[in-house]
Amino acid sequence: MTRPLRIVLALAAALWPAALAAQDVRLPVWPGSVRFLVLGDGGTGERAQHEVAAQMARYRQRFPFTFALMLGDNIYGRERPQDFAKKFERPYKALLDAQVRFHAALGNHDDPNQRYYKPYNLGGKRYRTFKEGHVRFYVIDSNYLDPEQVRWLESELKSSDSDWKIAYFHHPLYTTAWRGPEVELRAVLEPLFVKYGVDVVFAGHEHVYERFKPQRGIHHFTVGGAAKLRRGDTRRGPLTAATFDTDRSFLLVEVVEDYMYFQAISRTGAVVDEGVIARRREGREAARALPAPAPAAAAPR
Amino acid sequence: MSLTRRRRAFALLGGWSVLLGVGAACGEEERREAERANPTTAVFADFARRVNDYAALRRRLTDSIGELDPTRSQAEIAARATALGTAIIAARPRAKPGDIFTPEVAAVLATLIREEHRRRSEPVQETRDDQQEEVPDFTPQVNALYPTSYPLATFPPTLLPLLPPLPEALEYRMVGDYLILRDVEANLVVDLMPGALPAGGGSS
Repeated sequence: MTRPLRIVLALAAALWPAALAAQDVRLPVWPGSVRFLVLGDGGTGERAQHEVAAQMARYRQRFPFTFALMLGDNIYGRERPQDFAKKFERPYKALLDAQVRFHAALGNHDDPNQRYYKPYNLGGKRYRTFKEGHVRFYVIDSNYLDPEQVRWLESELKSSDSDWKIAYFHHPLYTTAWRGPEVELRAVLEPLFVKYGVDVVFAGHEHVYERFKPQRGIHHFTVGGAAKLRRGDTRRGPLTAATFDTDRSFLLVEVVEDYMYFQAISRTGAVVDEGVIARRREGREAARALPAPAPAAAAPR
Repeated sequence: MSLTRRRRAFALLGGWSVLLGVGAACGEEERREAERANPTTAVFADFARRVNDYAALRRRLTDSIGELDPTRSQAEIAARATALGTAIIAARPRAKPGDIFTPEVAAVLATLIREEHRRRSEPVQETRDDQQEEVPDFTPQVNALYPTSYPLATFPPTLLPLLPPLPEALEYRMVGDYLILRDVEANLVVDLMPGALPAGGGSS
């Protein structure tokens, strides 16, 4: 075997799993469905962020999502104009060029003035709501959950007649990672989510991927590994449905009528979790009839 | 909690509730009467006046600098924050700790915060400690910027409703055992109150 041929074969062997995985879309890609990307804790500007971003762009070729939910810690460290280029605009250039709309939530590393940064679509607000198709999204500022925000949230949840209600913010209400669940936030938010029929909650903060069995009827995901990673930081417990903590990750989601399909992807393009969630067909009252809340997700320490 | 402490905590909370209700619904005479009946009400009324004075000053400065609309230019956002911060510092050159968190206000708030922390379970206090651990050790100063590369500790959401409300431009934050009053858009420490929390956070 000639040397160039050996090099070509070695390269092909090295790239094949990633190339294959990058095409491993198991979502329905149904015409007219609501398709989006979920990523958290991405704003480092480092190599891992670029690798994950490249994987997002590759997946988008087969799964053309139109918008992205950012779960906070959008920019780590300094927030000079050049940092926004380095930690957001350059890594996600392919997605931005493809007109993917980013809808950011604020994390504890984010200057609240990010709400004025137009590409984050916060419209100058710390918290907001928007609708895509038959899905209503609630962007919450979990850093500063003041009474005014809680009143706003309740009013918006109450008045919405959307089929799906999805809330997202930075700090997880359920997690097995080292900092543990945000029990104070849960005490304030979960009763509202249950009362007004929130179906799914996305959070970041912990640099892992986790999915929990429904808690009081609500599906909770932690998607905080778009750049940083706390390797081996999850613990499977009675509430755990799936975890991934050996590499960076992001989530692809498709909502088709009463079903939400999801697929979690690693930095290398491997599918690390997938499934489908059915919306509560019996309406919002069904949630109120569920049993008392389960104990907190396995607490750290 | 001792009976005396419990009474004091209830008195504080009761006073604040009275202030809120009275301020919203009644006239000046009723407000004065409420302040006479409960000294805490008077303390919080004084706090509200000082906060409102700051807000009025800030409005005047904002009028001259201009409001900020969402923009693609991070440079524009940063320049506006700097301009606002500079103008506020220039307008309050002699600002010092205690201008808004007066000793009377600080005493009431410290008691209120400590009592609230004591009522919280261990998991809650651990969560609060974890949030503080992400903030590097630094001493905040009045009229100084909050370091832009430092994270902000999440403010306990069950404590916030117990504190006097603030206009949108201001927020409470914890830095170590300091309670700070922060101008959100200018990223400026407007006032601070040391000793708001027991040393080591809430779980001591």
